[in-house]
Amino acid sequence: MWWVSITDVGHSTAPSATSWSQRSGGVHGRPGDLQRTFRLLLATVWLLDAVLQLQPSMFTRGSNGLSGMFAGVAGGNPGWVSRTITWNASNVYHQPVLANSVFAGVQFFIAFGIIGRRTCKPALALSIAWAAGVWWFGEGAGLIFRGGATPFGGGPGGVLFYAVLAVLLWPSEGSDRPFVAARTVGVTNAKAIWAALWGILAVLSVVGHGRSPQALRALVVGVDDREPGWLARVDRATESLFVHQGTTMAVLLAVVCLVVAVGVYLPPRVTQVTVVVGIVVFALVWVAVQDVGGILSGGATDPNSGLLIILLALTYWPLIDLPHPSEPSTNGRSPSTEEV
Amino acid sequence: MTPSWLYYLFGVLMLGVAAYCLVMTVLSVATNRPAGRDVDISHACMGVSMAGMFVAGWAFGPDAMWELAFAALLVWFVVRSIQSLLRFGLHLPHASIHAVMSFSMLLMYWFPMGASSAGGSMAMSSTGPKLDSGVAFVLAFVLLVSAVFTLASPNKGASHFGMHAPAYAMVGSPGPARPAHPDDGTSPTVALEELVATPWLVDASHVVMCIGMGFLLILMT
Repeated sequence: MWWVSITDVGHSTAPSATSWSQRSGGVHGRPGDLQRTFRLLLATVWLLDAVLQLQPSMFTRGSNGLSGMFAGVAGGNPGWVSRTITWNASNVYHQPVLANSVFAGVQFFIAFGIIGRRTCKPALALSIAWAAGVWWFGEGAGLIFRGGATPFGGGPGGVLFYAVLAVLLWPSEGSDRPFVAARTVGVTNAKAIWAALWGILAVLSVVGHGRSPQALRALVVGVDDREPGWLARVDRATESLFVHQGTTMAVLLAVVCLVVAVGVYLPPRVTQVTVVVGIVVFALVWVAVQDVGGILSGGATDPNSGLLIILLALTYWPLIDLPHPSEPSTNGRSPSTEEV
Repeated sequence: MTPSWLYYLFGVLMLGVAAYCLVMTVLSVATNRPAGRDVDISHACMGVSMAGMFVAGWAFGPDAMWELAFAALLVWFVVRSIQSLLRFGLHLPHASIHAVMSFSMLLMYWFPMGASSAGGSMAMSSTGPKLDSGVAFVLAFVLLVSAVFTLASPNKGASHFGMHAPAYAMVGSPGPARPAHPDDGTSPTVALEELVATPWLVDASHVVMCIGMGFLLILMT
């Protein structure tokens, strides 16, 4: 099993009367606890968000600042939606340093909270509430009301996937089979969530501006001069593709999303294929359209939806070949046991 | 512009880790227990160096000196990683994360961050060649993963003295043993080392180092 094989021995070369781990008083985790591993990966993304929040531009009032970002997503929404977003942007505008410090602090709190066993559930609950707030005030409700929530651009809102993952990875006892996402909410509910999610992505691909070549082109147009050269070239190719085949690409994405949505109800081997397809497609979208969330050109606050969708898809990977953790391992030798 | 207190905060944290690791190095020499000494030395160098990157006034020594130091550390940790791979087969060697950290430090000297990225108090503002931000992002992400999995590891101190954290966060198997000293518990120096080398503290030093370095790499994007 791969998670057993990546152990290592360090510098210890002599037998010891006192185990270093015994001194620490640490509580050992359950071997092969994939749900916890995924929670830790989710915590890593929150930690990345927190660090991104500390970028210099976030503390400013300019258009690249936090208030400018918020205000930028208000336009085009219905008045009552737009007013709430503008109100929040105004508050941040008046206290940019304080507001951004709080934003970063909350995200550090969530990241470190998810890691701790006792703080995990409160942190996940906070992350759901925080994600909902950011989705509304920071992402303009995912641009759904503007008709621009295409999954190519991160629709229906990258931050929503943090909340979905928090629910699916809520700590619980039980088996990681048949897939990790089912451990807490059950197989039926997990499959329903998956199907609904990918169904929504399929619909959003072709409604509103989602199938408009010009709207799709606008997602990647205007290469940022701070982008690395290779990404700028990818952007130009994507722009050309969208201009000439924008509608086709939107329909293709919708079809792929539908196939992936249905795939979870098919035999595990077929599900694995559809999960791989979903991961590959959104890895391409994440890099070629979402520009890695804009992180590579500076000024981004999160990695956008691509990375989170990939993480979500991995939690649905059918564990058909995986020996159960309680079964005796055939790989009894590891560096650690040999050395200690 | 980022408030200068943020950079001073990171600078102080880096110096704190460096001072702690310096004490650990001295104690490990005094007690003749080499376990983790290479990590202590590398963290001390990185802490001092990064403090100078966060706060311009705290930088000292020629860049060439630091580049030489981090190149040597990189070679050392790569060799340790290869040794581990040869001995135990395919796995993630503990020393590899320290090799990544040394490599990141080298890159930060080779490609000082652009003036538009850096804050006013930072030392490494430059208009010279820029590191590919994709590389900087990947390295930063790896460091943040290391920070999270070190914190999550049930084997506190493992990140420092041997087994690398991710394996234990996932496996939960018994932690590494630290070599006992013949005078364990009787020598004041050994007792002091046991006090200073608290497992959660050595992990914290690694986590702080990873986050500080990750932040600097993000600023390079």
